[in-house]
Amino acid sequence: MEESKLIERAKEGDHAALATLVKKYEKTIFNFAFKICRDRDKAENTMQETFLRFVKNLKQFDGKSKLSTWLYRIVVNNCMMDARKRQRRPFVEPKDDERDFEERFVADRLSAPTATVENDELKRVLDEAISKLDPSYRVVFMLRDVERLSTEETAEAIGVSEPAVKSRLHRARSFLRNEITKAFQS
Amino acid sequence: MKVQKMERPVAASDEGSCKTVMSHICDSLDEDPTSPKCVAIRRHLEECDACRDYKASIEKTIEWYREYDAPLPEGAHERLMARLGLEDA
Repeated sequence: MEESKLIERAKEGDHAALATLVKKYEKTIFNFAFKICRDRDKAENTMQETFLRFVKNLKQFDGKSKLSTWLYRIVVNNCMMDARKRQRRPFVEPKDDERDFEERFVADRLSAPTATVENDELKRVLDEAISKLDPSYRVVFMLRDVERLSTEETAEAIGVSEPAVKSRLHRARSFLRNEITKAFQS
Repeated sequence: MKVQKMERPVAASDEGSCKTVMSHICDSLDEDPTSPKCVAIRRHLEECDACRDYKASIEKTIEWYREYDAPLPEGAHERLMARLGLEDA
């Protein structure tokens, strides 16, 4: 059955249609929540909160945006609120100045090009790099590059302009790349 | 590794430095490769080792984060359906 029909039926109280929608998106939402929160328990809690809000607010969903974008937006709001509350050390908000740019060139090339994410050391490096990044940059990187949303969909999901998405994406990519390079050099 | 000056600027109004290319490389990763901007960037990348290495390392970074998946924990589906009151659906 088409997703739009499932949504209509779910709005009318059809539990089977609602369950089908939840099953369709639960893995995607858990995985995305994990990538933003970097913690399995928080990711599961975020997934549950996301679908609770989804069920509660389903009648307000007008179908103008994709359901996935709507769900991503709920996850982002939830994770960002949580990240700010639990912040122990300041997040890094990457700057795009000339000095950083020159440093990128004098740095060695990104090491361990054959490493895979099955490697625990690489996982630790990836976790640490993304955890340092300010959540407002982290979500742009995750939505645009990892979840492959368009610039327009990313802007809509987090409520910022498309130029802001592009700028944050550029800086987030550079920051993560540099953090990973530094980790492999040390 | 020295920063090279671009021989073919991305646009006439640009200063023609690697910095200009860098700021556009990121955009170019998912954009139409036949657009004038991407064609100019591709030409520059053919000549500039630093920009080429940088682009490759950005792509590798993205690839790693894409591959770093977290499978749904055991019992998470059942806990979710119970919380939503959809156990029997």
